[in-house]
Amino acid sequence: MIKAYILIITYVGNLKAVLEEMRKLENIESIAVVAGDYDIIVKAKVDTPEDLMELTDKIHAIKGVKRTNTQVIEKEIEA
Amino acid sequence: MRIRKKYLFYVLAILSSLIGAGVTVIDTYISVKYELNPWSLCLAIFIAGILITFLLCLILSIPVGKKSLGARIDPSFKRLRLPKKEEIKFHLMAGIGNAVATVAYFFIISIYREPSAILSFFEVVILYLLLMESIAEKNAPTLAEVQSSIVVTFGAIMASFSFQGEINLLGLLIVFFVLNPAWVVFSIYQRKLKIMKIDGRHNDAINIRFWNLIFTTFFTAILVYFIDRRNFFNAFDMLKHWNLFFLSMGITFFSYVLYIRALGLGKASVTQAVKAFTIIFAIPFSILASNFVPISFYESVPQLVLKIMGIILVIVGVISFALTEVKAYIFIKAKTGYPINELLTNLWNIKGVTSVAVVAGRYDLIAKARMRTLGKGYERIIRELEKIKGIEYFGWEAILKEWEEV
Repeated sequence: MIKAYILIITYVGNLKAVLEEMRKLENIESIAVVAGDYDIIVKAKVDTPEDLMELTDKIHAIKGVKRTNTQVIEKEIEA
Repeated sequence: MRIRKKYLFYVLAILSSLIGAGVTVIDTYISVKYELNPWSLCLAIFIAGILITFLLCLILSIPVGKKSLGARIDPSFKRLRLPKKEEIKFHLMAGIGNAVATVAYFFIISIYREPSAILSFFEVVILYLLLMESIAEKNAPTLAEVQSSIVVTFGAIMASFSFQGEINLLGLLIVFFVLNPAWVVFSIYQRKLKIMKIDGRHNDAINIRFWNLIFTTFFTAILVYFIDRRNFFNAFDMLKHWNLFFLSMGITFFSYVLYIRALGLGKASVTQAVKAFTIIFAIPFSILASNFVPISFYESVPQLVLKIMGIILVIVGVISFALTEVKAYIFIKAKTGYPINELLTNLWNIKGVTSVAVVAGRYDLIAKARMRTLGKGYERIIRELEKIKGIEYFGWEAILKEWEEV
């Protein structure tokens, strides 16, 4: 099991459309709209590195996505 | 299913209250119509409950497509199963809690002709849970949660209070020192069971409810037997009313399954506070039931005024719960050579931080935090972050909206 945060920057005016497409994708644990350097933070949960690559590919293919930055989780503590 | 977790939590807790209100009226109907001995009734209803719950669990275990029928109520449910070794101690504690709370409740209704005035103080259990969470949980209640809890508690007491009832020291002592603490034990251990992972997935509310009923019935039977043996054996005679008990416990099953699911998503105190809606939902059911049995919705105009004020407080309190949570992501870059594990622990120790992940990429750690208001939390958490030596840089991303897989 591989978990990763995918940090996304969208083109201005495309946030809603990108979110709608994003919510259709599989292997996603959470989607957060944020205010700061990024626009959307996705937490992905996949079985293999290849699945993560496929997911980021699908996110890149969404119209309105400007840039992504993937942070693979090595260790995690949750409440 | 990916939805906003906050909405799902409120939908589950409010639906549980709605169903619970229906059960309250059925139980009132049973006790008023048949004037059954309360001790035998409490045991008989649990025995009937095991049978109907077992039948319902078997039906819900039927596979439909790739999932079971019960997965529609709780997506984590596969089939009825034996409890795992690690679950037993939690089931034991939840069972003892539920049995003691039930026996305390029936003790009150067996000695007082009109117990509603005393039982209205059961609502203080919200504050007990809040206190427990403040002491024991990392995710401590925020000031807004404390305020909302007090508003809901007082509102619920006002809405369920009866002027006809008697208030005396013994009754209050039982509520404050037996009934409420036992319910706290029950709620906290049910929550622990729900957030526990079984075979890599979240535990399901259906199995938790079934096994809780088994353990609760066992402990209740022991308590009823030692209080008065005759009541213990009378319980089996009382099973001739099995159809009404099946109806009551069959509906209770769904109310509890939704309540346990809500417990897994939110805090026990907030779940209990939202459950105070039961008092509001019970009103239309009581009016309906008053056509069949001699029960009244209110006794006087002052009580009606008090009830309406209480209902308004409950609604306002629950709404303010829903509107006060703020969450944020914090991105951290560590100083070169600083031990990441130490940084991870230091971040995790900050009050309000709900998760910390060590990541590979542009940043070294990503933390998630929740706070009362963005301004207050930002200041408090930033002060803590600035004290940590190994941090080179941190960035803050406030969460505006979030969908989570449930």
